[in-house]
Amino acid sequence: MSPLLSFIAKRVLQAIPLIFVTIIITFILVHAAPGDPTYILTGEIGDEEFVKMLRAKFGLDRPLHEQFVIYLWNVLRGDLGYSYIKGASVSKLILERIPATMILVITGMTLAVIIGIPIGIILAIRRDVIGTLLSFLSLLGVSTPYFWLGQMLLIIFALILGLFPVGGMIDVKAGHQGLDYFLDLLHHLTLPAVTLAIFNIAYIARITRASLIEALNQNYIVTARAKGLSERTVLLKHALRNALLPVTTYTGLTIGVLLVGAILTETIYSWPGMGLLLYEALRLRDYPVVLGVFIYGSIIVIVANLIVDILYAILDPRIRIR
Amino acid sequence: MIDKQILIKAGHLGALLISRWRARANTKMISGLTIISLIIVLAIIAPLITWYPPLKTLIGKPLTPPCLKHPFGTDDLGRDIYSNVIYGARISLFVGATSVAISLVIGILVGAVAGYYGGLIGDLLMRITDMFLVIPRFLLALIIAAIFGQSIFNIILAIGITGWPAVARLIRAEYLSIKERPYVEAAKAIGLKDRQIIFGEILPNAITPLIPYSVLETGTAILIEASLSFLGLGDPNVPSWGLMLNNARQYLRIAWWMAFFPGLALSLVVLGLNLLGDGLTEYLSHT
Repeated sequence: MSPLLSFIAKRVLQAIPLIFVTIIITFILVHAAPGDPTYILTGEIGDEEFVKMLRAKFGLDRPLHEQFVIYLWNVLRGDLGYSYIKGASVSKLILERIPATMILVITGMTLAVIIGIPIGIILAIRRDVIGTLLSFLSLLGVSTPYFWLGQMLLIIFALILGLFPVGGMIDVKAGHQGLDYFLDLLHHLTLPAVTLAIFNIAYIARITRASLIEALNQNYIVTARAKGLSERTVLLKHALRNALLPVTTYTGLTIGVLLVGAILTETIYSWPGMGLLLYEALRLRDYPVVLGVFIYGSIIVIVANLIVDILYAILDPRIRIR
Repeated sequence: MIDKQILIKAGHLGALLISRWRARANTKMISGLTIISLIIVLAIIAPLITWYPPLKTLIGKPLTPPCLKHPFGTDDLGRDIYSNVIYGARISLFVGATSVAISLVIGILVGAVAGYYGGLIGDLLMRITDMFLVIPRFLLALIIAAIFGQSIFNIILAIGITGWPAVARLIRAEYLSIKERPYVEAAKAIGLKDRQIIFGEILPNAITPLIPYSVLETGTAILIEASLSFLGLGDPNVPSWGLMLNNARQYLRIAWWMAFFPGLALSLVVLGLNLLGDGLTEYLSHT
């Protein structure tokens, strides 16, 4: 097997236990919770018949280890329980919401990368007023919570200036088709995506700066300069290429941060993704959905990390050997 | 002669650069420290600088805009936002400090044991640590808070016990390098117990990188508490900025001040901690 393939196989095998750990943690939490676990598994409301059915389904009268096997089997089959309040299975509820979250996360991340990396380069090479100003702004960016920034943008751009809609993803009443539909989506997407992007622009700028400064201190940069290459070539072709590797990893690791950002952003703009689902579930104490979002969210993060690891190995041959 | 002058000039330039760099590192540290000290002082003297008890409803007419009587306005229940923002600093700082303390205790124990002993125990501990690093911390804290109920102590515990893996990794790396040093060798030779070496000899030399980390981590912990409260998982019995922001959601159209001031305070604390943490990192890595 080529080193790359064996690396991929190794990583995939390492990721599987992580998914189990997530499920184990969920199980432990459900049973460590005060009171009857049925309460957590059904949510606040549930008639007697329903509770009885659930007790049978989860084997709540059986010993704990058997309960765990039942739970594990259910989750692995994609059965995360039933939301009594919403009247639908948890998996269906979550899967319905994933596309909206993905649209938001991908747009936000793209903005963050396109704007964040150039700012990071400026931060690494300019020590003048502009550099200091940008450095302060990036610090401000990572210090401002999503949900406050979102609310302020909402007040200014939607409520006062009326430039953007207050919330939602699509103007259902207008019944747009084709291009109009897309433009309407974009119109709704702007504020949430900007809210999500600002923190991440600042975050990526800071990482780019740090790894570019490190790359610029390497011996090959001295060599490149000694060869008489222009500073521009040294910076963009020699230093930046190497500096972008850690940026790739961090961008992947940020998926977790982004998912959290998306949850908070969605609640502000009523963007119909997983975050809004979670928010509604928390308000109604619809625990099966809350647990489901945790499991799905963890799996998304684990898989994203796996993909980034593999990409990293493809980009940087040194990694495969280790 | 000329050579000497060039050398002197170069020396001056070097000194200038170093002092400018030092000044830069210190600007961040000093401004961060100033912001944080100011907020700590305000939190301590909260009863002296506020006129109304926090959480008390109908102190003023509900949804009063900022005015002389209520500098930050009042909320939907007629609570004075200024008092709540000032008292909220106490909660935020308390949550930040205690949850980071929990993470530090667990992380140091795990990291020290894993780094000092290594071998099978070390590997096993690090595997567990890596697993916890991958699971999204916020989501884990969120379900812990959701399931165990909305008290401030549950929230602190949830944030604390999800924060240790990074500490464990940092500490382990330090122990791995320090345990090879001659003084540890010497400590073993004079017959000190493992416990004494781990905590008495190595720990004091291993905690330096934890200082900036803990400062930055306090900011993260404060943000997580605010985010949980914003999502409705906060303790309704304490004045928390996140809870105020959650409350403000429905009134954004008519009462911007309900969201503006608590969020500003939150951002300021986190900015101060980030400045201080960044400044400390730069300071420690170059001296």
